[in-house]
Amino acid sequence: MIEINKLVKVYGDKKAVNGISFTVNDDEVLGFLGPNGAGKSTTMNIITGYLSSTSGTVKVNGHDILEEPELAKKEIGYLPENPPLYNDMTVNEYLDFICDLKGVAKAKRKHMLDRIITMVKISDVTDRLIGNLSKGYKQRVGIAQAMVGDPSILILDEPTVGLDPSQIIEIRKLIKSLSKSHSIIISSHILPEIQEVADRVVIINHGKIAAIDSLSDLSKRLLGQTKLLMTYTGPAKECAEKIRTLHGISSAVPKITKNKVSQIELTVVGENSTEIRASIFFMMAKEGWPILELRSLEPTLEEVFLSITSEKKGA
Amino acid sequence: MYAIFKREFLSYFRSPVGYVAIAIFSFLAGFIFYSQYSSGSVNIGSEVISLRSFFVIIVPIITMGLLAEDKKRGTDILYYTTPVSLFNVVVGKVLAAFALFAVMFINVIIHIIVTVACGGTFGVGAIGTIIVFFFMAFMFISMGLFASAITDNQIVSAIVSFVLILISQLLSVISEYAGTAANSIATVFGVKTYKALAFSNAIKKAISWLDPFVKTQDFRLGIFSVSALIFLVSVGVLFMYLTFRVLEKKRWSQA
Repeated sequence: MIEINKLVKVYGDKKAVNGISFTVNDDEVLGFLGPNGAGKSTTMNIITGYLSSTSGTVKVNGHDILEEPELAKKEIGYLPENPPLYNDMTVNEYLDFICDLKGVAKAKRKHMLDRIITMVKISDVTDRLIGNLSKGYKQRVGIAQAMVGDPSILILDEPTVGLDPSQIIEIRKLIKSLSKSHSIIISSHILPEIQEVADRVVIINHGKIAAIDSLSDLSKRLLGQTKLLMTYTGPAKECAEKIRTLHGISSAVPKITKNKVSQIELTVVGENSTEIRASIFFMMAKEGWPILELRSLEPTLEEVFLSITSEKKGA
Repeated sequence: MYAIFKREFLSYFRSPVGYVAIAIFSFLAGFIFYSQYSSGSVNIGSEVISLRSFFVIIVPIITMGLLAEDKKRGTDILYYTTPVSLFNVVVGKVLAAFALFAVMFINVIIHIIVTVACGGTFGVGAIGTIIVFFFMAFMFISMGLFASAITDNQIVSAIVSFVLILISQLLSVISEYAGTAANSIATVFGVKTYKALAFSNAIKKAISWLDPFVKTQDFRLGIFSVSALIFLVSVGVLFMYLTFRVLEKKRWSQA
């Protein structure tokens, strides 16, 4: 369990982190979401003891990171944005070094490393130099490093950045399997990334918490407004006007028209968009404008912020 | 501490650094020993003293990467986020560089064996120079480690430690110049001649007091001075402490 209380980190006259408080419960995956430069990495660096806060406290399983650093650090496994790897060591040598650093007893070591290596699937590269591994393998070695010493908390800073889609899926699976026995904080600037794995989401922006929510609540908020992108053959303006008259559509913005093919972005109000999509289909069919594609647009992080901040203003 | 020591020491042999340092040292030691041997009079003491003057090249090679490389790779984060303490990191790194010196010193041990086997002398004076050699190595390694802590560029680190060591080797020369300069300045300002002389002597003495080579020059005669050794250790520990502070500062930095 991690308790973070009123964390502030000042750089010069800029507050990188400005009064962040939240709690991570046992065996929970907490998504840490924010655009680049929002203070995600700074916060994670403070939690792990790499940086110290200007004010505020971090308690890891009851141990303050500044007052009892050695006890607190034993509980944490950290994968920073750039995995701390030595290119001149083999995977085995490296993990052994990490065991030395974390003070893992020699007797336990082999069993633990075997388990970790199978879990993150790096058993076929253990004798290779880290410098010669692919980015995906390096990332996995980084995760293995964080798992050494069986910490109860894992902190992963953008673990899937720069990986190909199949590797991203693998890492997600791995995180899901780890979440059964660990508390995990995972950061990202991509919303769907977090949606896949997290139980709860902390959204930060400009060093402040914009929202803390369970994932289902967050998606409910977002579901209140669904965006659809429709591609069809037909006139743009005329069609937009017709669509606006339909029930449940709050806006229709024509995007592009090229070779008679137009695109319209629609905002649908209400949780169930199925009926509305059906009525769009019948309307278009009646007018003789064939729909080529109709798909929902994933809300971007900016839209999430907008919806959250606008809700706050409204309340 | 042992973890850091082991990694750093072995890493000397994973890259060319360790081999280059050992090769340079072996060449120098071999060359000096050979020229003594061929002239028919071998003196291990003066061989070790000559080798000491090459610290200015060998130490920067050994220490330049110790911390600078970590910062560049981002592996220094491990020192802050694992239960190992920064103090242990500093000590482990110094020990690793020191151990490499011990390995290089095997050359001299071979020369000693050859000398003794051929009926040469290996006296107290030679032992004295060897003691000084290792204490001085420790001091300069600490300086080099400090130079490595203040930058993430190995070249900059090497240049800084080169300059630091060069200055300490040239302290007696520097003290002469500083003394003369102080004398001229005092005269210009109209200070009486005997006072100006006393002033310049004071400056000269103050600077040359810091000279580790002058402090330890009697060791070769078999006259050991504990205070000189304490001086070398103190300077070494001072630079280790400074290194430790530089590492700590990173955590607290607000710039």
